Amino acid sequence: MNKPLRCAPAPSVPIGIQIARAGEALRQERFKEAIELFKPLIRQDPRPEWKASLADAYRGRARAMAAKKMFKEAAMVLENTIAPDGTVRDPRLYLTCLIRDGQQPKAAAYLLRCFGGDGVLPATERAALEDLAASLLVAVPQLPEASRAAPSEPSRWRELAAASREALAGWINGASAEEMDRQLNRISLRSAFRPLRLLLKSLTSIPRDDERTRHLLETIHPGSPFYPFRQAVEATVLGERVLDAYAWEQLTPAQQAFVAETRGLPVAASQFLARLSEAAQGGPAVLFGYLTKQPDLPRAEVRNACLNLLPQIPDRLPQFEKSFGPLSDLERHRVKALAAEARNDWEVAERSWRAAAAAIADGGTDRQAMLSQGVIYRHLAHLAIMHPEIEGEDIFGDPVIFYLERCYTVDPEHIPTLLELIGRYRKELQLKDWHRLVDEAVQRFPDDSQVLLQATESAVARKAYKMAAGFARRLLKINSINPGVRRQMIELQVAHARKQMRAKRPDLAAKELSAAAEWERPDAPSALLRIARGLVSLQTGAKEQAEVWLREGVELAGGGVAGWFQAQLEAELMNATGGDAGWLRQELVRARETPPTEESVMTIVSAVGRPEAVENKRVVAGLLLGLRAWLLQAASFNWSEAEFQALAETLARFDAFDLLQEYARAARRRDPANPAWRFYDIVARTKGNADRLSMAETDDLFEMAEAAARREDFHAAKRIERFLDGNGRVSAGRGRAAVALPDTIDDDEMAALFMAMMDEMPKGSADSLRGLVNELGRDATVAQMVEKLRSSPIGPGMPEPLLRLLSEAMVAKAMGGGRSRHGGKTRRSQLFDA
Amino acid sequence: MRDPFTVLGVAEDAGDTEIRRRYLALVRDFPPDRAPDRFREYRAAYDALSDERKRLETKLLHTNAAALSRLSAAALHAASPGSARATKRTVAALLNEGIMRTVTD
Repeated sequence: MNKPLRCAPAPSVPIGIQIARAGEALRQERFKEAIELFKPLIRQDPRPEWKASLADAYRGRARAMAAKKMFKEAAMVLENTIAPDGTVRDPRLYLTCLIRDGQQPKAAAYLLRCFGGDGVLPATERAALEDLAASLLVAVPQLPEASRAAPSEPSRWRELAAASREALAGWINGASAEEMDRQLNRISLRSAFRPLRLLLKSLTSIPRDDERTRHLLETIHPGSPFYPFRQAVEATVLGERVLDAYAWEQLTPAQQAFVAETRGLPVAASQFLARLSEAAQGGPAVLFGYLTKQPDLPRAEVRNACLNLLPQIPDRLPQFEKSFGPLSDLERHRVKALAAEARNDWEVAERSWRAAAAAIADGGTDRQAMLSQGVIYRHLAHLAIMHPEIEGEDIFGDPVIFYLERCYTVDPEHIPTLLELIGRYRKELQLKDWHRLVDEAVQRFPDDSQVLLQATESAVARKAYKMAAGFARRLLKINSINPGVRRQMIELQVAHARKQMRAKRPDLAAKELSAAAEWERPDAPSALLRIARGLVSLQTGAKEQAEVWLREGVELAGGGVAGWFQAQLEAELMNATGGDAGWLRQELVRARETPPTEESVMTIVSAVGRPEAVENKRVVAGLLLGLRAWLLQAASFNWSEAEFQALAETLARFDAFDLLQEYARAARRRDPANPAWRFYDIVARTKGNADRLSMAETDDLFEMAEAAARREDFHAAKRIERFLDGNGRVSAGRGRAAVALPDTIDDDEMAALFMAMMDEMPKGSADSLRGLVNELGRDATVAQMVEKLRSSPIGPGMPEPLLRLLSEAMVAKAMGGGRSRHGGKTRRSQLFDA
Repeated sequence: MRDPFTVLGVAEDAGDTEIRRRYLALVRDFPPDRAPDRFREYRAAYDALSDERKRLETKLLHTNAAALSRLSAAALHAASPGSARATKRTVAALLNEGIMRTVTD
């Protein structure tokens, strides 16, 4: 029973209010109410706009019903909106409701009526519904009756639909190819029935041209109602290529039935697929056993499937050979190699792959054989990168290079291998090989941009400017933007200009820099080039031009301190600081009045990281010293770890350890838990020299390295280890021999050392000492400590009794004796006595 | 892993051009925004077959489940193809499936 309406129209309500209520109900999507309000209004006065609003209300109501899957009711509601030309308010919704309610014949009849002439359906709607109409008219059991007032268009549609239905029936009933051709020719390729024509044509074409068939079928797009039919036809006619167990499972039951019927598949085939799937779930051994017991399957395919299972179950090799005959050498080695890889036995994997490559080489030298060997050697090279166990018995040097070289020998046309080998030579500092291979590569592949880039870099490294310029020009012909090459060429020529300037030849430097300007793109001006040209012009007397270039360059380099710092640095590198260049320093001093920003500091870090700056450590260190106060202001910035890392490396590289300490301490104040700050604090305190580490610091660093490794921060772990090894980049003592204590240590120094060691003896050391005492006894532990201290950096400077005393004190402290003030004094006095 | 040749629907002796053409046709029908899983499958198959060396790599270096995929395909195609016709009912079901899919989507 219908619920009473909330706002039933009272006869006495003025019409204006009724209209307002109806409109409001429609706006608020209270469609049922809107319908009831509009109906009496239209009965009184059938105004078109009210009728339109009523139709909207019906459509809204139908949509709401369709959303609740009440398709029959929704279709009935929409039928209230049928116009004199037979269309409803929302044809697509109406058709959806009819079809989903199973009223396909009614939908087909409606569509046939809709295509009754121009203007009945809007063009876009009509285009969208044509495919649906065609498929419906073919699928319904009977073609709808012709309308009495049928204009010409429906009769054309009827004719095409009838021809399509006849062709389909002809194919189902086994009509001959000729008969099918005759029938299909009646279906216009420009009509919406085209997909059916293509599908039937694909099914009946003899001889079959798979490529052409595929081309034709691909024109039936996934949104078409004929698409499932297309998939079924593809599986039927192109089955050998597209249909496997997986694809079969993806087919719908109707598609599977179609494929099974048209291909005459035995029921056993689909049962086999199910059993195969079950066996596969049981693991490789079960599957292997199942497959070897299938006599009806194609032997070659079964062998291939079993062969590919063997690496997982190598113990079944004898059974395989019993069933299928002996394996070839290549197959045997391949199975062994893959099996070894599966169990991470890299030595056997390497041996087996090499044997497999040799077996291929024995089999012939055709292209396939060479490429196959190349594939294996490349694989071995990649394995060697990841697994150090791969080193080969006959390999001297880098195994990665060894295998890449072999790969290059058998497959010299493979550019990625060539580039990899070039990169590897470069990385391993095999400079002769690097340049030789680059020369070969550029001859063989003169138009390959990657090869040309390598050639440019190689020429730059060889300082072969003209050659580099030639390669760079060729490269820019291929890729005219290539900012990397442009920058490289500019840097190269500026480096030349520096040399000329240092040789007091500003005229030659100016020439060099004019040439460098040809690499500059107008939209990407180079700060370095502008600054260099400015400095050279200062020396040649073109002061006005010099100032313009310098100011432009400084601005491009970031302006302010960062910009003037770079100008000053370049002036130092060019040895052009005297005379007219004095104002640069004044500009830098003036710029320092502006407080630093993160960006300006990082720009400086980046500038001093350039190779020419690194090579001139003294110059940079001097400049940084001049900026000390300014840089100190930035210590309290909230640096990210990556930024801090770059900063710290730079400060350490140029021996600015006091600045580094300020930065590290400020960072520790901000974030005490982060071990990175502690690490750099230690680096700063020891001035980058691991030999100056206290025991507590050493233990701290070991713990930090272990913690970093545990959290898989291998960069941090390596960094700490490098520092501890004394060859870290942060270490100022890089490359130096370990520095022991001075030959002569005075008493105060020794006492301070003693106290520091006792104070900073960490818990970890105390624990291990206690462990040693428990294990070896006190005396033996002291003796061991003496030996340890003797071989430590402080050992050579200490007399034996002092070492013993120190060891005894440490053991005592570890065993809980502690060190009272007096005790400390006592030991101190003992020390002096000693 | 499925046999990449079967995924792309190309013969084992297909050349680079044909494989690429087929891959592009499939991707056009199943772009990543509409069918991400299928696209991934086609992409992986194409990566494995896109040039001669990769095809050799697939054949030599991978213990491929593709062999099983090929075996099942062989089992399915043991019968002679295209000799029989489908029934009217099956064809009607297939057409109705397309119609329903159109209005449901």
